[in-house]
Amino acid sequence: MQLAFLEADKVSFAYDGMDEVISGLDLSIGGRGFTAIMGPNGSGKTTIGKLMMGILKPSSGRVFIDGDDTRTLSLGQAGSKIGYLFQNPQFQIFSQNVMDELVFIPRLKGGDESSLKRKAIRLIRLLHLEDKKDMPVFNLSYGEKQRLAIAGILACGPRYLILDEPTTGLDMVRKDMLISILKKLLDEGMGMTVITHDRRFVNNFSGRLLNMREGRIAETVI
Amino acid sequence: MIQHVYVLLFFLIISIVLSALFYGSLLKTIKALRRLWYVFIVMVIIQSIFNRAGSPLFSVWGFTVLTDAGLIKGSEFLLRISVIIFSASIAASSDHREVVQGLVQLKIPYEIAFMVSVGIRFLPLLRSEFVDVMTAIQLRGVDIEKIPFKKRLKIYSYIFTPIMAGAIKKARDLSTAMEARAFRAYPERTSYLVLKLVPKDYIVMVITLVFTAAVFILYYVFGFPGRIL
Repeated sequence: MQLAFLEADKVSFAYDGMDEVISGLDLSIGGRGFTAIMGPNGSGKTTIGKLMMGILKPSSGRVFIDGDDTRTLSLGQAGSKIGYLFQNPQFQIFSQNVMDELVFIPRLKGGDESSLKRKAIRLIRLLHLEDKKDMPVFNLSYGEKQRLAIAGILACGPRYLILDEPTTGLDMVRKDMLISILKKLLDEGMGMTVITHDRRFVNNFSGRLLNMREGRIAETVI
Repeated sequence: MIQHVYVLLFFLIISIVLSALFYGSLLKTIKALRRLWYVFIVMVIIQSIFNRAGSPLFSVWGFTVLTDAGLIKGSEFLLRISVIIFSASIAASSDHREVVQGLVQLKIPYEIAFMVSVGIRFLPLLRSEFVDVMTAIQLRGVDIEKIPFKKRLKIYSYIFTPIMAGAIKKARDLSTAMEARAFRAYPERTSYLVLKLVPKDYIVMVITLVFTAAVFILYYVFGFPGRIL
């Protein structure tokens, strides 16, 4: 059987001592293009994102990332294929300044220092952080921290992104900036799934729209 | 030497019985204790290697890694920790509001009682934050189990930035919220919650006092062989 890049096969999930949030979910998402997962609060959007990323393991059923079962995949292995942006960018920023944030993980993995810096500068430009390059991360605004978190994820070279509520706390200007950044990434061939309840934001993209209702999904095209 | 284990085992049984009678979530405590098995193994090995007493049970190329004394010391350690955890589980049966009120009724200043309660609530938050940060850093494609020790240490040094930043932000937000609700605006406080001692409380207090006294009497009066606790 040919598996899509992200594949959920009859996945059910319940948090400890609670009712099932996801039940019998089947889902295939290709490695390219835009997919939005929408739904009201508590409908299980974030849970799906975490299941697709291997952060949560299904109570029953299986999830595959690029053909590998998430039950046997470490977070590091999943993270080298997919970048995941949490709702709160605060705990995804590990360094004290912007430049270091973009080079410290690639440096740990080993790599030519000058090419790491070149890549970091390209990301700084892409994410509109040029004037913050040498600034301590604590002085960044919420939107800047979020863009830095995305840059940090991209610096590690994933081929796919899952973004959980990326527009929370952003004003219209910052939202437009994020839209243009994500469109650029899509044009460069990166695939992404955005978990959101912001329909206006989603309308800026074309792709698939998956609507969550009580742990099940209804699909439309946008 | 083995008598220590018996004494500790006796105290463990008492703690389990008390915990079962007054806390009721014995299974939860046992589940928490199950995670300690590797600490037990580490303790046994450390005691066997560094405590020269006892006869060797297992050696690798002439180097003793397991002795009967190490096994006994490791068991003593595990029993001691288990007694503490089961005894503490009784205190964990109260929610943080009751803990604060209990301390206030013991005439401890409200500010200190409140700090204790914040501390108790803060620890699980800090733990969950640590787990989230560890997850986030691994999702950058870092296989933490597989990278060399030196690089792993480097990773650990990085995870403290978001944890400390988060803790400071939480503390600042909490103090702002407290000020906004006029914390310490009046020296005298009233409370809708007033705790009353019930027979169960007296039973726990009496049993605790009796057994604490018994340990001291056994140890100091009868000179029970060696160290007990």
